[in-house]
Amino acid sequence: MMNVTKKWIFLKVSSVILIPLMVWFIINLPLIYDKEYFDVVSFFSKQPSKFLISLLMIVAFFYSSLSISEIFEDYIHDEKIKNAANKALYTFAIVIPLITLTIIFNLTI
Amino acid sequence: MENNNPLSPHIQIYSWNISSLISISHRIIGVINILVLTFVCLWISLLLLGETNYDYAKFFLQSIFGKFTIIGIIWSYSFQILSEVRHLFWDLGYGFELKTSKITGLIVIFGSIIFTILIYLFGRNIF
Repeated sequence: MMNVTKKWIFLKVSSVILIPLMVWFIINLPLIYDKEYFDVVSFFSKQPSKFLISLLMIVAFFYSSLSISEIFEDYIHDEKIKNAANKALYTFAIVIPLITLTIIFNLTI
Repeated sequence: MENNNPLSPHIQIYSWNISSLISISHRIIGVINILVLTFVCLWISLLLLGETNYDYAKFFLQSIFGKFTIIGIIWSYSFQILSEVRHLFWDLGYGFELKTSKITGLIVIFGSIIFTILIYLFGRNIF
């Protein structure tokens, strides 16, 4: 299987997983955004929110890194700049969710 | 001999229609949404710093700008969800006809606005 085909399949599979997670996220966001500190901590540290927000972070950053690299493919013509941009993007997509997941799993009321 | 073939970005040579508007918006909003999620990560990180530090985030989120930001986030995610569903139908081989494509494009635009209003009102317990 070609790399581009694998990339397309990964994009589509992550997109199908991401849709219900995004629906859950935007339904819950207006419920908690202006709540007190302990209510927000309680939301992120209890199940199923803890599992769902963690999954959202992993899948969303994975999906975005693949789709943004497609934008780089279309608009950046210099190979060196494109490779550097892709490396920075993949690093960002690994580091940010990793830090956030560590924080979520260390949150206690 | 000089190569005069057009290179991307060449958006300016096309006349605008619903499909091209949704296509470019889908890309821009996708990038915005990942930046939004990065700020959500920052918001969660503030929780670890304790209640006093979290008050800065709460002060912003309870302001009119905070409410506007939350409504904007709900709209951008609603737009991406509907646009993504539209793409998945295309992947299954449905909705390529010009008329259907225009209708689904309009559903993405107006549907995202309707969803935003409904979700925000539901979240604020107005229903």
